[in-house]
Amino acid sequence: MEKILEVKNLTKKFKHIAVNNISFDVEKGNVYGLLGPNGSGKSTTFGMLLSTINPTSGSWKWFGKEGTDTHTLKKIGAIIEQPNFYPYLSAEKNLEIVATIKEIPYSRIDEVLEVVNLLTRKKDAFKTYSLGMKQRLSIASALLADPEVLILDEPTNGLDPEGIIQIRDIINSIAKSGTTIIVASHLLDEIEKICSHVIVLKQGNAIYSGSVDAMSNTKGFFELKADNISELVSVLGSFGIFSSVKEQDNLIIAQISSDISASELNKKVFEKGISLSHLQKKKESLESQFLELVKQSNS
Amino acid sequence: MIRLLKLEYLKNLNYRPFKIFSGLYFVVLIVLLFIGLVDFDILGMKINLKEQGMYNFPGVWNFTTYIVGLLKIFLGCIIVFSICQEFSNRMFKQNIIDGLSREEFVFSKLLTILAFTAFSTLLVFVIAFMLGKSYSVTQEGDLVTKEIYFIFNYFLKLFSFFSFLMFLSILFRKSIFVFLGFFMFWFVEKILIGIETFRVQQNITELEKAKVLSTTTFYTDYLPLESMSNLIPNPLIRTNMAQLLGMQFKFEYPWYSVIACIVWSTIFILGSYWILKKKDW
Repeated sequence: MEKILEVKNLTKKFKHIAVNNISFDVEKGNVYGLLGPNGSGKSTTFGMLLSTINPTSGSWKWFGKEGTDTHTLKKIGAIIEQPNFYPYLSAEKNLEIVATIKEIPYSRIDEVLEVVNLLTRKKDAFKTYSLGMKQRLSIASALLADPEVLILDEPTNGLDPEGIIQIRDIINSIAKSGTTIIVASHLLDEIEKICSHVIVLKQGNAIYSGSVDAMSNTKGFFELKADNISELVSVLGSFGIFSSVKEQDNLIIAQISSDISASELNKKVFEKGISLSHLQKKKESLESQFLELVKQSNS
Repeated sequence: MIRLLKLEYLKNLNYRPFKIFSGLYFVVLIVLLFIGLVDFDILGMKINLKEQGMYNFPGVWNFTTYIVGLLKIFLGCIIVFSICQEFSNRMFKQNIIDGLSREEFVFSKLLTILAFTAFSTLLVFVIAFMLGKSYSVTQEGDLVTKEIYFIFNYFLKLFSFFSFLMFLSILFRKSIFVFLGFFMFWFVEKILIGIETFRVQQNITELEKAKVLSTTTFYTDYLPLESMSNLIPNPLIRTNMAQLLGMQFKFEYPWYSVIACIVWSTIFILGSYWILKKKDW
């Protein structure tokens, strides 16, 4: 796999340590989530990788080249924290400035405005835009140079549900086109819906880096329900394929230790004379995995 | 370079207040050059600068550049606002992320400064020349060009002044702090000048004073604002009235101030770059 970004032992000290010795790789074509609570060093990490913050130590390579130069930056589309544009200029003029900096033709401007559905408002001043429109304009700006990598820092921060869905749809369609995306967020379900890989940060430390699937080594769990709950619990316990069987809110939660499909389980339980009223195989949500990881790193 | 000019054009000339105030500056500049044609009534005395020799060659170069030089603070405000808004709107950071280097950022601001300075200089040169041709009592070739170096000094004075303001804008990033900082700087410079003058004059008699003052090298002469102001002397003592009162106009070309201004401008430009480089955005 071609590596877009390799980060080695990156550290940034302000008065406190904001980013502590983190390393990770980003491979081409994947969607990466940078996960962590507020103040865990996500924006600082992006700042260093985008050359706006000077690192204390460590190194990184973009496209196999040491550090971040302006040539590299022109190939990256980035949205940081909040949409930044000249408030008194129209969307079109603002994008002309970005196009001038990135040295690309103005003909791209209408194309990207079309993608984010702002073409009809392109002559209006940026300051007249709603927050959702501002955020969409920054996505348009990031897409302007047809970037190889897209960096998104909290792209749905402060948006209403409709705005969140719009942004998520745009990100999903960009991801499908094969663009590598790195997205930072503290909203777990957001990351879960769009990312294939995650890097989990906690107080400046990277506590996990890898695929979403491999993040927890549990094989998932079953949710079951039957008329006679206590009988079901004892039957499930006798199979010896669950690490734990617990009752929770009238549902039985059975953690899988050796893999079994839902239909197989259904058959086995039925053979024991129990008919299920509810059966569902589930993966741990990213949220519970994340909390688990944070708990582990605490101990 | 064309790219950076285009960038500055897009950023500034689409901003209406910037356009309006820049336009006003040049209007006021032109009007000020014609001030000698107006009669003033000061405490019952009628004063007409043209009759005081304002448009006579070679003094016309000194008079005109000195008078329009007072306007530089007006243009300075426009430049300060234009640079500070890059920071208050977080656009410097965004520009960097979009792929503008810090060198290019400083250079693009310098281009704006150069464009304003060059255009002001050109206007002053052309209009002062026309006024001299129309109203000067002497039209001898030698005298016409004798002090034309004031035009260059005017250019340098504006350029170093705006470089200084650019430096302060990048240092403080908020226009109100830039003005406060500028005022403090000016104040401190004046105090230092006062202290040095006082020390030089200590332990000498009244008779020696004039001689000592004219021969001593004042270190404070090389401070930024002082060396800028030394580039173009106050032409008041060149007026016919002052000459009648027996004042003598003596002026040597201020080579040291020219060098000081060039050195200071270089320091301000490199300093601006250094701040942009060192700070985390």
